[in-house]
Amino acid sequence: MSNDILFLAEFAVGRPARSALELATGAAELAAASGGTAVGLAYGSGATGGAAALGAHGAKHVVVLGDEDRPAITFAGAAAAAVGASAALALLAPATPNGRDLAAALVGLLDLPAFGPVRAARVVDGVVETEQATLQGSVITTARPVDGAPTPSVVLVLPNTFTPAEGGTGTAEVTTGADVGGSPFGKAKVVESHEADARVANLDEANVIVAGGRGVGGEEGFALLRDLAEVLGGAVGASRAAADAGWIAYQLQIGQTGKVVKPQLYIGAGISGAIQHKVGMQTAEHVVAINRDRDAPIGEFADLYVVGDLFQIVPALTEEIRRRKGGA
Amino acid sequence: MKIVVCIKQVPATGADKRYTDDLRLDRSSVEAIINPLDEYAIEQALRLVDSGGADAVTYLSMGPEQAAEALRRALAMGGDDAVLVTDPALAGADEWATAVVLAAALDKLAPDIALMGMASDDARGSLVPGAVAARRGLPLLSYGAELAVDDGAARIRRLSATGFDWIEAPLPVVATVTDQVGEPRYASLKGIMAAKRKPLETWSLEDIGVDAGTLRGGALTRVTDSRPPEDKPPTERIENVAAVEAATRVADWLAARKLI
Repeated sequence: MSNDILFLAEFAVGRPARSALELATGAAELAAASGGTAVGLAYGSGATGGAAALGAHGAKHVVVLGDEDRPAITFAGAAAAAVGASAALALLAPATPNGRDLAAALVGLLDLPAFGPVRAARVVDGVVETEQATLQGSVITTARPVDGAPTPSVVLVLPNTFTPAEGGTGTAEVTTGADVGGSPFGKAKVVESHEADARVANLDEANVIVAGGRGVGGEEGFALLRDLAEVLGGAVGASRAAADAGWIAYQLQIGQTGKVVKPQLYIGAGISGAIQHKVGMQTAEHVVAINRDRDAPIGEFADLYVVGDLFQIVPALTEEIRRRKGGA
Repeated sequence: MKIVVCIKQVPATGADKRYTDDLRLDRSSVEAIINPLDEYAIEQALRLVDSGGADAVTYLSMGPEQAAEALRRALAMGGDDAVLVTDPALAGADEWATAVVLAAALDKLAPDIALMGMASDDARGSLVPGAVAARRGLPLLSYGAELAVDDGAARIRRLSATGFDWIEAPLPVVATVTDQVGEPRYASLKGIMAAKRKPLETWSLEDIGVDAGTLRGGALTRVTDSRPPEDKPPTERIENVAAVEAATRVADWLAARKLI
């Protein structure tokens, strides 16, 4: 009987990614419905030391695949061995480049059904069921594995699909994954590393994102957005146009070829809302747009649309929020 | 040094889409294009030829017969020849089945680099490249903002959490590139004429040695429901007011939703 729920727990730069906490809780939720337990497959630097603490978010057991920052797919041999040894119904993977690559290797190595990126996953009558926005968000589809499909089902999960359980005191049992030598994936090696702009924040972890586009005009404009993000306790993001212009690091690009984000609040300033950007933020809970153009496409899917000059409105809003929060 | 670029024909961005009775996209009813992100892979391959880093470019696609149009369009941009894998058993193929088929076709073509776009416009799972690499037992170099080849190895420049890395693997490899590799070229009139004479082969599952029976009907997944997105409440608008007034009203709106 396959009823455990596996999840990929990404670590980097010594600590767990927010996705690891979200998926630990998500896996525990699915496991409660399937009658199994949540089991993490952890990789990246900090995995050994941080694995047990995933128990506080729902994991019962964590297998550490490796404790260094390198392309996740290079852990595929150990991951496949751990998946093969499990009796799991599903494997939840973060919809990040590394999460996708490792999930993809498992699909190819073990002939597994693949879903996602999904905005919801659940277990219904012992079967995995997922919900996905496809075709640029124009259709919502529900999908399941075919009868008799191999397990586990591999499910790519969007950020903020699950909310990490807090306040738990559990400790996950930690084991070390089998080191599988000779995997072809290991032939890919990092030969050079370069540090970028120190201001690069992790968009996956932000509950509030203030994003700027072409209309922001340059680095000075982004300084205004940074002030607003700071007073809201959030991070700055950007459209591809702003990243291509060199005003901001590519790590902060949101959209089809950047990050897919799902913050509680997204504020877009000087962003027209082209489909390529929309697919990266359309699942944000609240969308506020500030744009000089009263007919920009973002007006069609924003919850609140402010027509006006961002160079005046953004600083005024920063000031107003700071005043209400009782700051200087 | 031979490159095979895998391309997918997808419905045009923003095109009106229809579904068949079994909830699959009706691909015959919509305007079809080369998946826009695949065009960056094509561009990267052609740049490697231009710079002398590669000798030949072949395009590979899996799809219905009309996907040959996408291959002709790619050939008009440049490159040498193309292969379409088409088979009735592949209608509705999922990512797993697509990877099985592409991997088998690539085994036959045996390129030094199998190159793909980073995602497809209509599915966005980005799982096919890694699954193909796994099936072929090759390293994967993914999400390259740049691809370079020399001395029997390929390297990509890839964003990291705090900057970027160069990642290298010995050939042969499977690689994917992002839209940062440079804007795709347009097909010239001369290129369009030349494309008509370039070889385009059609292969069946039998030709690539895949038994249709092992494909389980082309998918390990099935769509059980398909519907329009939930209706959102209409957009509230603030306009024709001074910046300070607009800021106050936005702050009120945020406060009412406990966002500040």
